[in-house]
Amino acid sequence: MGRKILLVEDDRETASYLAKGLTQEGHSVEQATNGQDGLFRATDGSFDLIILDRMLPVLDGISVLRALRAAHIETPVLILSALGSVGDRIEGLECGSDDYLVKPFSFAELLARVNALLRRREARVGPADHRLTVGDLEIDPLSRTVKRAGKKLELKPREYLLLEYFARNEGRVVTRTMLLEQVWDYHFDPGTNVIDVHVSRLRRKLDEGFEKPLLHTVRGAGYMLAA
Amino acid sequence: MPTTLRIALLAGLLALLSNLAVIGFIYGRTHDEAVASLHRQVVEQSKVLTDVYRTGGKASLDEAIDDTLAYADPQTAVGLLDPSGRELKGNLAEAPSPQSMQEGYRSAVIRLRGQPSPHQAEIVLSKLPSGEWLISGRLVGEGLAFRATLERSLLLALVVAGLLGLLCGVILAHYVARRIGNIAAVANRITARDLSQRVPLSGAGDSFDRLGMQINAMLDRISGLMEELRLLTDSLAHDLRSPASRLRAAAHAAAEATDPAEQEELLGSVVRNADALIRILSTILEISRSEALTGRKQFAWFDVSELAAELAEMYDPVADERGASLRFDRPSRPVPLFGHRQLLAQALSNLIENAIRYGSAGGEIDVLVRPGDKQIRVEVADRGPGIPLDRREEALRRFGRLDSSRSDEGAGLGLALAQSIAHLHEGELLLNDNQPGLVTTLRLPVHPPQRAR
Repeated sequence: MGRKILLVEDDRETASYLAKGLTQEGHSVEQATNGQDGLFRATDGSFDLIILDRMLPVLDGISVLRALRAAHIETPVLILSALGSVGDRIEGLECGSDDYLVKPFSFAELLARVNALLRRREARVGPADHRLTVGDLEIDPLSRTVKRAGKKLELKPREYLLLEYFARNEGRVVTRTMLLEQVWDYHFDPGTNVIDVHVSRLRRKLDEGFEKPLLHTVRGAGYMLAA
Repeated sequence: MPTTLRIALLAGLLALLSNLAVIGFIYGRTHDEAVASLHRQVVEQSKVLTDVYRTGGKASLDEAIDDTLAYADPQTAVGLLDPSGRELKGNLAEAPSPQSMQEGYRSAVIRLRGQPSPHQAEIVLSKLPSGEWLISGRLVGEGLAFRATLERSLLLALVVAGLLGLLCGVILAHYVARRIGNIAAVANRITARDLSQRVPLSGAGDSFDRLGMQINAMLDRISGLMEELRLLTDSLAHDLRSPASRLRAAAHAAAEATDPAEQEELLGSVVRNADALIRILSTILEISRSEALTGRKQFAWFDVSELAAELAEMYDPVADERGASLRFDRPSRPVPLFGHRQLLAQALSNLIENAIRYGSAGGEIDVLVRPGDKQIRVEVADRGPGIPLDRREEALRRFGRLDSSRSDEGAGLGLALAQSIAHLHEGELLLNDNQPGLVTTLRLPVHPPQRAR
């Protein structure tokens, strides 16, 4: 189902590349090339998501974001920025953005985050059934128990959090950086394959002995949990 | 206005002002002294005359007045007036009429006989029991005549002092200009070409020498930084070269490839090498950002042992895959620290990754948190080959990866970043021998002092 996305980006090449990709995914994209115009369009509150470049002419992204939040417009905001240090990322998040993506990024990474944010908005609005199910996998967030085909799986606390995050983004690509940020709450780039190691451990507990795997690797992008 | 002239004028002005103060003081004192002495003389003379009248009567007083006039100096004024104001005896040509006067000490205008004009005088008026008035006093103008001489001398002294001050100022200004000029000349030569120039010191150990020493120390630091920067750019260029040329080769090969599977693999290699380039650049940026103290406002209290536990748990499977075991003994109590949790997480993860990458062969990697009152030590110890003492400084430098044949993505920035994060917290990163192996220690103050920005 297509959604309305506002893209505020002054670099025309990046903007048209992103707009094209998002339109192909079925979303309708409106564009603004400076902060003031972006803020003006965003204030009607009709968008499902705002993608906001941090460094913009006239009014910078952080100021646009602050103005929006001050006006109680709670549309999810994804910040794009060339400022990629840990301090910059934290600052961006503390200003009320819902996600922060450092340039340069792959389109797959952006798409994964856009889908996660749209999904989160849907979940916030939709009815809350606390049980999560993916195929024959059953997760109970209250008791933090996981069953597959009726058989209980023994997961370590972090493995459980990883799986719950996958389940909440069922059928959508989740990138390594998203896992590091959302499951561990770290905002740096690790120099080792630490995320892959954790995912492969989880996969062993989840899929070993079952005919149909649930946790898939998506080449060049990340992972996906799907029945 | 040139500085030399300003200094000279300032010195002259200061000399003038201080001399003015001294002269003013002398003038005031002598003036007071003269007035007091006049007052004493007037009172004394009047007392003598009234005493004479009291003991010897009118006849003795007449005699005494004659004596006084005969032996007294020209400033003396004496007069005996009848109740109507007519002079019976004395040297007063013009005197205030007694009707308008009261007994006692006062100032008045008096003309002596034989003088052309009246003068200011200090007098005592006494009414005798027989009804006559006795006026006894001294003229002021003549009495303080030496004041004019004094004033002239003082004025002259003032002018001389001013000129001397100006002269001193000129000499002083010349001296300062010469000493400063030496320093400025060195600065000029440095600006022009040569950073190796140093300010010559006079050896006197005075303020100028101290200024010179500080400038020399500053120059040493700048040369050091320049050298570091040169090394950094050299190694940055060198380290970016290899992934960049691999990327170019892979892209070229991918364009030529006919087999789709082969092409896909080559494109994957293009992306990997681009990622490696980006990672190196981001880490360099991260280091300079944390050195610029940008993260200070995000400081908060947090539990270091909880962070270490989380990271140990996170990296345990990675160490496991490389055949090492990662251990962490969590202290029984929380270890609070005021700092940047995210940056310290990055620093500590760099140390752990470093230990896993180079020390896994040793089998055991230990993470330790040692709490203290003032400072906290976070240690990562491995049993790998370690780093020889003489190469540890090099290991902390950006791109200081010791084994240059290694082509993995470490790029030797991890320790440099951990060190710059330690510096941000006013702490340091220490490399020590684990006999065998390497211990890297983040030594952090519990609450870094607020540094003026």
